[in-house]
Amino acid sequence: MTRERSLPPGEAATPSARALIHVVDDDESLRSSLLDLLRAAGYDAQGYGSTGEFLLKPIPDRPGCLLLDIRLPGGPSGLELQAALTDRGFALPTIFVTGYADVPASVRAMKAGAVDFLEKPVVREHLFEAVERALERDATTRAARADAQRHDARLASLTAREREVFDRIVAGRRNKDIAAELGISLRTVKAYRSQLMDKLGVGSAAELGRLAGAYRAAQD
Amino acid sequence: MDCVDGVFTIFAASSMHAGVRARATAWMFVAVATLWATSTCTVVASPARNVLVLFSNSRLVPGNVEVDRGLRDAFRDAQPLPIHLFSEFLDSPEFGGEAHEQAVIAYLRAKYAGRAPDIMVAFSDASFEFLARHRGAPFPGVPLVYASVSPTVLQRYALPKDVVGVSVEYDFGGTIEQALRWHPNAQRLVIVTGTSSRDRGWEARLRREVPSLAGTRRVEFWAGLPTAALVQQLADLDAHTVVFTPGYYADGSGAMSSPGETIKHIARASAAPVYGPLDTFIGTGVVGGRMPSFEGIGRQAGRIVKQILAGEQTAAPATVAVAPIALHVDWRQVQRFGIKEADIPADAVIHYRAPTFWEQYRLVAIIATSLILLQAGLIAALLLERRRRQTAEVAAQKHRIELAHASRLAVAGELTASIAHEINQPLGAMQASADAADLLLQSDVECRSDLRRIVTRIRRDSVRASDVISRLRSLLARHAPERHPFDLGVAIDEVATMMSAEARRRSVALDVRIDSPLPPVAGDRTQIQQVLINLVLNAMDAVADLETDRRVVEIAVERLDGRIHVAVRDRGKGIAPQDVTKVFDSFYSTKSSGMGLGLSIARTIVEAHEGRIFAESAVDAGATFWFDLPVSPDAAVAQLSTS
Repeated sequence: MTRERSLPPGEAATPSARALIHVVDDDESLRSSLLDLLRAAGYDAQGYGSTGEFLLKPIPDRPGCLLLDIRLPGGPSGLELQAALTDRGFALPTIFVTGYADVPASVRAMKAGAVDFLEKPVVREHLFEAVERALERDATTRAARADAQRHDARLASLTAREREVFDRIVAGRRNKDIAAELGISLRTVKAYRSQLMDKLGVGSAAELGRLAGAYRAAQD
Repeated sequence: MDCVDGVFTIFAASSMHAGVRARATAWMFVAVATLWATSTCTVVASPARNVLVLFSNSRLVPGNVEVDRGLRDAFRDAQPLPIHLFSEFLDSPEFGGEAHEQAVIAYLRAKYAGRAPDIMVAFSDASFEFLARHRGAPFPGVPLVYASVSPTVLQRYALPKDVVGVSVEYDFGGTIEQALRWHPNAQRLVIVTGTSSRDRGWEARLRREVPSLAGTRRVEFWAGLPTAALVQQLADLDAHTVVFTPGYYADGSGAMSSPGETIKHIARASAAPVYGPLDTFIGTGVVGGRMPSFEGIGRQAGRIVKQILAGEQTAAPATVAVAPIALHVDWRQVQRFGIKEADIPADAVIHYRAPTFWEQYRLVAIIATSLILLQAGLIAALLLERRRRQTAEVAAQKHRIELAHASRLAVAGELTASIAHEINQPLGAMQASADAADLLLQSDVECRSDLRRIVTRIRRDSVRASDVISRLRSLLARHAPERHPFDLGVAIDEVATMMSAEARRRSVALDVRIDSPLPPVAGDRTQIQQVLINLVLNAMDAVADLETDRRVVEIAVERLDGRIHVAVRDRGKGIAPQDVTKVFDSFYSTKSSGMGLGLSIARTIVEAHEGRIFAESAVDAGATFWFDLPVSPDAAVAQLSTS
């Protein structure tokens, strides 16, 4: 199903790149049905018969989410797969699907960060809502990750002296203290400060303070 | 025997009544003295006691023979000394008269000179009168005991009171009365007598007694007829006549005989019933009569003799016995003349009645009847038992079906979650497919091939769902056990499919290995599947607490020696050794839930299929339950013929 979607469900939330939905279910028939349904709704969808198969296939860096049967025979279960993915920092938002009204499993899944928990047979509207939510979350994490990467790149462009000054700003030191610490003049500190603000793309002292705060939080 | 010499015991041969009393007193003294002498001497001197019996008639007269038997019977085991019994015969009435009597006296004296009798017994009237007339001769002083002497004769002689014996009165009157009672229609009473003096005496007595007894009946005295003529006349009698006779010693032609002999002619010839008063008549053809027993008289006299020899003071007249008289009848004559059995008095002595079958074979009959009854009872009991068992078997069979069905329901209950999942799965797929088709149809894109594919899948999923339901239905259906050949491998594969959802639900791996091809087995497919489901569920329970990768249940089906073995193996904790033999018992369970019936029913089913079911377990190595079934004989034949 490689056609342009004709209906709205995915449109509004789908950013520039088309989302790819991964469907892991051992029931071939159900898997195919879900794939057909998702594709008919305009998503790209990819099916896997087991968690192992999913892990072996290369995952393209595209927006998307994971539709995962919670109970899969042979190999790791859905919950185990989710845990493994999270550990590797591969945060693909996950929607669990189950054939059993299994309360303990659903609680565990949600605690582990699942987007939703759907019972078979899956109601179409619920599925699309869950997928949209998952894609939103994916978009958010992707954006955050892009921001972080951008900042990292900017930090990498600082000189050693600029970096020393930046680290002390992050640590909350005043210019006067930094000058004393580094054995340089206050004016030199200010010059470094304006240079690194340029490099980091920060327009004001307040903005720099926010960035430093965010960075500090990231270091903890 | 010299000690008794000079002591005389002489009967006063007097028929005079005057002065009897005074003389009798004198006699008594003599008699007592005699007794004393006898008892004092003989105890010392004699090795035996001699008793001489003097019979009136000739030797072979039936009455004499009977008396002799009675005496001998009484003398058997005499104490302290044995008794020798000697018999002499006066041969009356053929012989008689003074000359004859003197000769007899001389003869007896001479004969018994060396064996003088200690006591003498006079039998019947003639003998008693002979001894009485000759006053103790030939052995004066020897005590005398009489037997079968009529009271009239005794009265003729004045006797000392301690002269004792057995008197007898032939019961003419009683006999005639009884005869007339039995023949109420008789119009004629014929009395037959003889010509000897004794016969004449009886005739006289009868002429006195009969008229008062006969009533309106005509009485005829046929006295003194020659036997030949008598026989002729008797033959012409009709049934309305009754004949009475005491027999006779001499007939009208003067021929001598005895009553016992003459009665034979009379009874044989007579067309009318004949009655008589002597017990020797019984058996000759007479109907019967009131008779003294000669043998009884002999026995009674013998007892008196023994008492006297033992020195007992006989207290006269108590020991003077009267021979008891009893009614005797000949059963053959009773039947011949149509006498009703009910009319025979209960105390009558009935002769010649052939014992009835009951009397003759009573014990045998009782035993045989008991055995037959016992056997019949046993047969009845066995039949009843068999019937009861059949009923019970039918009931038990019904129970087994019910129980097996209930057990299947319970199994289905356990599988509910996985069954629901199994149905849900295709339903979910169908719904998703339908939704996809719906979306495709709403778009204006060409999607015919996609829709075709989706519809095909929907159809496949609906078949899948209905398969689940039909499998469930066949498991839940209540049906009578069947017996068809079926492929055990296919049936077990079906179970494995049915159980796979449950296995997934419990995260248990189901490892199924089935040899193929397998020859068919005969039986009830559903029941065998039920057994396997039970075993697999148990195995799944056993591995429930293990690590996920150890939760494995193996099903292995293979052919071994004409049987098909099915093994269900788990790697759980195993069964405690003490439980291995008990797991198949009813209501035995090691689980917290469950009735403990599953394995018991499994065993019932397997054994009903001529199979065996066992459990094996090694510590920490899990348990193996296996059962086997014989290859269907039809199949074996079919295989042979094809190979």
